[in-house]
Amino acid sequence: MLVIIFRRLGQSVLVLFLVALISFLIFRYVGNPVDNLMGQEATLAQRAALEEALGLNDPFYKQYFSFVWNALNFDFGNSYRGALPVSDLIASRLPATIELALTSAIFALFFGVITGIYTAIRRGGYLANIILSTSLIGVSLPTFLIGVLLIWLFAVELKWLPSFGRGDVVQLGWWSTGFLTLSGIKSLILPSITLGLYQLTLIMRLTRSEMLEVMRQDYVRFAKALGLSSKQVNYKHALPNTLVPVVTIAGLQLGSIVAFAIVTETVFQWPGVGLLFINAVYFVDIPVMSAYLLLVGVLFVIINLFVDLLYLAIDPRLRDSNSSE
Amino acid sequence: MAENLLEVRNISVTFKTRYGILKALDNLSLNVKKGEILGLVGESGAGKSMTGAAILGLIDAPGQLSSGEIFYKDECISDAPEAVRGHEISMIFQDPLMSLNPLRKIGDQLVETILTHMNISKSEAIKKAKNGLKEVGIDPSRLNSYPHTFSGGMRQRVVIALALAPEPSLIIADEPTTALDVSVQAQILDLLKKLCKERGTSIILVTHDMGVIAETTDRVGVLYAGRLAEIGNTREVLTDPKHPYTRGLVESTPRIDSNSFKKSLFQIPGSMPKLDAMPSGCAFHPRCAFASDICTKKIPPILHKRAACWLLENGEL
Amino acid sequence: MRRFLESDFLYDFLRAPVAIVSFCVVSILVLSAIFAQFIAPTNPFDPASLELMNGFTPPLEPNMYTGEVFLLGTDDQGRDLFSAILYGLRISLFVGLMAVSLAMTMGVILGLIAGYVGGWLDNLIMRLADIQMTFPSILIAMLIFGVARGLLPPELRYEMAITVLIISIGLSEWVPFARTVRGSTMVEKEKEYIAAAQLIGLKKWQIMIRHILPNVLGPVLVIATITFALAIIAEATLSFLGVGAPRTEPSLGTLIRVGQDFLFSGEWWILLFPALTLLALALAVNLLGDWLRDTLNPRLK
Repeated sequence: MLVIIFRRLGQSVLVLFLVALISFLIFRYVGNPVDNLMGQEATLAQRAALEEALGLNDPFYKQYFSFVWNALNFDFGNSYRGALPVSDLIASRLPATIELALTSAIFALFFGVITGIYTAIRRGGYLANIILSTSLIGVSLPTFLIGVLLIWLFAVELKWLPSFGRGDVVQLGWWSTGFLTLSGIKSLILPSITLGLYQLTLIMRLTRSEMLEVMRQDYVRFAKALGLSSKQVNYKHALPNTLVPVVTIAGLQLGSIVAFAIVTETVFQWPGVGLLFINAVYFVDIPVMSAYLLLVGVLFVIINLFVDLLYLAIDPRLRDSNSSE
Repeated sequence: MAENLLEVRNISVTFKTRYGILKALDNLSLNVKKGEILGLVGESGAGKSMTGAAILGLIDAPGQLSSGEIFYKDECISDAPEAVRGHEISMIFQDPLMSLNPLRKIGDQLVETILTHMNISKSEAIKKAKNGLKEVGIDPSRLNSYPHTFSGGMRQRVVIALALAPEPSLIIADEPTTALDVSVQAQILDLLKKLCKERGTSIILVTHDMGVIAETTDRVGVLYAGRLAEIGNTREVLTDPKHPYTRGLVESTPRIDSNSFKKSLFQIPGSMPKLDAMPSGCAFHPRCAFASDICTKKIPPILHKRAACWLLENGEL
Repeated sequence: MRRFLESDFLYDFLRAPVAIVSFCVVSILVLSAIFAQFIAPTNPFDPASLELMNGFTPPLEPNMYTGEVFLLGTDDQGRDLFSAILYGLRISLFVGLMAVSLAMTMGVILGLIAGYVGGWLDNLIMRLADIQMTFPSILIAMLIFGVARGLLPPELRYEMAITVLIISIGLSEWVPFARTVRGSTMVEKEKEYIAAAQLIGLKKWQIMIRHILPNVLGPVLVIATITFALAIIAEATLSFLGVGAPRTEPSLGTLIRVGQDFLFSGEWWILLFPALTLLALALAVNLLGDWLRDTLNPRLK
């Protein structure tokens, strides 16, 4: 088991170095740090001096490692727009995105698993079929369209919920939270549903098909033959075996929640890192793009690693078999 | 009546597919007496396992028990088979690797089963579980082991312990040794037979192995294409088969004891019909050397309480 | 054999109402996009045809100044929405099609090489695929879009927007193609007829294209259909976010972006009709893809 963990760690570090390389290439060669700092009217001599001072004439590997070193110290340079340090920008925006992503992930996992189990157990039932057909539309509906339609219904027509922003936030140290105010929580509802709906349908369909698969297995039939109640069979035998792959996929989906947060944040003008990133793309703000890529890369690698470890923790077969390798 | 523990009366199992309705079991009747071992033998797809699943109501959709009744201790159970599962009738499946929940310790699975059927405390249930393991030859200290730490034969022992834990009167063993090494097969069968004899538990043993039938069972039913071809005392059926199919099965089984060793094995020509291409009349007639006109037209009933063959209508075969 | 397969395929198709309806919807949308200039009452890109007085006309109601009637109403600039949707559909479909073609070409070639040649090339391609798969494709597309914009001089950014969009989406979707083709290639490679082809001295690329490629086309077609739906949604998403098709060449996503601005003032039709068109397109292609997958290759499920 330790071997596996170390191998995974090694892979993760490798991926991180590659992501850092891409970030660096974007940072160094797509953007031009000198233009950024000096503006067009600087003389050639001034530019050359700055290039030397920034280390742009150093060998490639040296520049790369200084980039990684700076990144490890949370130094990503300054944004082209407003000239603020990128790390400050990201730090001030991160809480909003994390709160949104977590809320919608929990929403998607909770309702996805419940409806998945329901549609598997009540296979062919009236309500189950309705849920299934609706989910098909859900898969085809682009995230931004869900958001726009929700705004239209709940913000414009019914006026129940706010259509943009985070509402009032409470500052806890450097972390700003919307969980502690009523307007903050109300503002969170529509974006979370928008962001979570696709994952919800995905998790539901996965749970359902896994559950149906597991219910065909001999150990479930055996449990039934032994006279266990359908509750015991469904929830103690079928469900845990269903959840192993579901948890894995759901964990990996956290990554795509972070990515689709960009879309949701744009629709709802949610002040998170996604909105920061899309504006950076729009205005070709290279340092912000490069830092965002690095941030997301680290996040994804951590999520993947965590899911792998979780998988090891859930399944006793893996726990033992790996030690004998 | 009372000597019959289980009576299966004219059951049919059908599957609705896009090609029409297929009959996996067609008008099948049989009974199991108290304490006896009834073998069910036939090729794969003949409906042996389906019979076992039908008795406990474990047929997977889209299949269903479309007609017939099943009586257990003179009560009809085919409407609510859940009521007898476990403490009256339990079942052992073919593949011990697949029969145990991989995520739960075998002790938990045993205790859960015991507690479901008996009104006893948890510590008593654990004691019972340990006893059960000891009886099947497994060290009771392995109560907290996961299934994957056992070999195939050991797992089938655990499965037997589980099936016996609720103290059923009938066990349906569906090819319990097919997935195991040959060297382990006999051990498992002997164990099952011994434990059931001690308890007076009846067994329905589903197998395709005539050798197992000969060694283990008291009576045997031969299935062909979802229908009962022949049923009777094992010794009689094997030494004096009445149905041409049974005869073919017996003659195609290798023996070491007799002088038939040198002869090449008998083969039944052709293969069993698929369910979507069933011949009219007797399902066996295209392969039967004795087939006559009536065999192609009418399905033979069980004649002389022994075999479903028109040859028996005019006396002995 | 081939004939039989095709007739069976047709048999299944005619018995799947969902597939028939989806196919019809896709056909109608594609045809109306192709023949947009004949169907559309006006050319929405021609500034001369725009009458600002016609702005914000609700569907099927005469405009209060000019008295003109528009089937689906007009937007803020007096552009006929029906025409705009037809032309927008054309851009959406075009981008989707080109992006899928790019992804398919790239994925098939890389998959063939990885599967047939193997070795370090295989390792390199598949590790690259693994890394790309850790990131959602929409994010990759955004990133490529941003980088491409950074590399282009500012004056070309609008002109090249559609091309950049196609490349971004295409590059973000090649992995499934490559993985499938690689798998099938490795299976095909071991078969006897390939050994025979090698014996008679065919070159590697000849074997790949003439013998292996035809055998992997089934699954590739399925993935292409599913990817087409993804590409359309990705295009709409990027355009909606303002980092895709510009307002001068609006796709369905751009139209929805524009429509969102008028949601609060009550001009719902500017949003609703492009949104419904996009939904119909995405849903129909998705359903068709699902059906193809189940019919052609149950194992892909």
